Amino acid sequence: MNKIELIHTLPNVFQSRTDIVSDIWNQDVTFEKGKKYLVEANSGTGKSSLCSYIYGYRHDYQGQILFDGEDIRRYAVAKWTDIRKNHFALLWQELRMFPELTAWENVEIKNKLTGYQTKEQILEWFDMLGITDKLDAKMGRMSFGQQQRVALIRALCQPFDFLFVDEPISHLDDTNSAIMGRIMTAEADKQGAGIIATSIGKHIDLEYERVFNL
Amino acid sequence: MKLVWKLLRQHISIPQFLGFFFANLVGVVIILLGVQFYNDYKALDNEDSFMKADYLIVNKKIGALSGLTGKSNAFTRAEIEELKNEDFVERIGAFTPSSFNVKARFDVEGFVNFSTEMFFESVPDEFVDVKSDAWDYQEGSNEIPIILPKNYLDLYNFGYAQGKGLPKLSEGILGAMKLNVQIAGNGNNDSFDGRIVGFSSRLNTILVPEKFMQWANQQYADGEAVKEPTRLIMEVNNPTDDRITSYLQERDYETDEDKLDASKTTFILRVIVSIVMVVGMVISILSIYILMLSVFLLVQKNSTKLENLLLIGFSPAKVSFPYQALTVGLNVLVFVLAVVIMLLVRGIYLEMFENFFPDLQVPGIWQALVVGMGLLVIVSIFNIIAVYGKVMSIWKRKD
Repeated sequence: MNKIELIHTLPNVFQSRTDIVSDIWNQDVTFEKGKKYLVEANSGTGKSSLCSYIYGYRHDYQGQILFDGEDIRRYAVAKWTDIRKNHFALLWQELRMFPELTAWENVEIKNKLTGYQTKEQILEWFDMLGITDKLDAKMGRMSFGQQQRVALIRALCQPFDFLFVDEPISHLDDTNSAIMGRIMTAEADKQGAGIIATSIGKHIDLEYERVFNL
Repeated sequence: MKLVWKLLRQHISIPQFLGFFFANLVGVVIILLGVQFYNDYKALDNEDSFMKADYLIVNKKIGALSGLTGKSNAFTRAEIEELKNEDFVERIGAFTPSSFNVKARFDVEGFVNFSTEMFFESVPDEFVDVKSDAWDYQEGSNEIPIILPKNYLDLYNFGYAQGKGLPKLSEGILGAMKLNVQIAGNGNNDSFDGRIVGFSSRLNTILVPEKFMQWANQQYADGEAVKEPTRLIMEVNNPTDDRITSYLQERDYETDEDKLDASKTTFILRVIVSIVMVVGMVISILSIYILMLSVFLLVQKNSTKLENLLLIGFSPAKVSFPYQALTVGLNVLVFVLAVVIMLLVRGIYLEMFENFFPDLQVPGIWQALVVGMGLLVIVSIFNIIAVYGKVMSIWKRKD
């Protein structure tokens, strides 16, 4: 997947509003593989909606979203499974981790599916992010900031053309944010992938190609 | 998959699944036992091993008038032809009576000494269900295979022997003994050994092989023309067919009431077994309903986990698999256990059957197995589809 295009995309709930000023909604926007983008947003401007539309689990929008020129509304279940497994990594704002499993198991469950990263690489990331001591801790017992770091590692355990990170550093200090940025950039560059980051204030420092105001 | 299972087994309710397990077990056992018991009973019904079940024996009624007018109670060729052409008749054969004198003596030193005038009859061999070598007569041989009516044995055992204080005889003992048969006629007088092949509760006659009858009628008949048959044996495709009764009534024919009674008993048993099986079916369906409810509840309780698994790239098929395997596994377990229980219960009632009918030949259990397998496959397919459908509703976020 080389290109994500939004063509006059607008959430259905915004349909009746005429006062929308946005670089993304109701515009023609293209995200290209290999480049980094930042989407800045205020609360309630549809940031999470954007995630769910391009990740294929909500379709309550008008206009079109195209992957490499193909309308994603027509994608079948198997196609979405393939995209989520092999082409598109997403770090959710709400993380979507499994509190019953340990930090290690949360990453392992994904890596077993894709078989993409080595155990050494994963352990190295845990170490870099300073949460090695939490490997065997139940996810539910960890702080949100710690969970955010585990969630990033899980997101990286797959091949991807785009990495979509939704407020990745909302609960992190600057040091850890910087480490996270380095890890993300390194992995994206290695895979030649693009990064789309969102923020509602504090944003992760990357070399952004373009900054959108949602 | 181990981690997926670790996630998805959360909230599994053991009591609910146990409830399903035992309820379904009861249902399936009832269904399997119903099928098996019916088959085993049918074997009992065919207990008269010399004649297949669906044979009817037909004769003309002997009324006061026919006795006076001397009207023959034999069947004419035209009447037999007509009967043969009815479509409820599969095959038809005539009883051939003997046209010679028969005297039989039965003696065991110091035990019984029994001598009587009697007669022979024969029917075409295809109607006699005895292994062909046991029911064969070689011309010139001194040995005649004979089938006696069971009534004779009962008469002796419960009437004669009882009254005279003589020992009772079993079928087995009699089968091992020889009957001394004197045949006279046409100026000849010969002695034969009668070998009792068995006793029939259906045939009220003394039966010998047709081959022997043809030969003996030629040899010993006193120049008389071959008599027309007074009794017919026929195979019908359905003994409960009303047309048979009305046809026979119209022409003043009689048939053996026993056979029709037996058909009625079988019919009633079939109805009872059907009712029991329907009850089993209802129990099974209800239990499967419980299973589906608890699986749906489980899916509901774990819906966030399932949704997250779908979002991190697991296919709906992969996510459905643990619950599908769980339900199918339970079904297989129920099936296996149901078959075992059925075999145990069958062992108990077969033992009882065997007390009454020592020579009972019971059918196999394959029919019950096929029914059980069929249920297993249908229910499992239904479960697999239902679980997948439920997971897909999470995929589509329609819950």
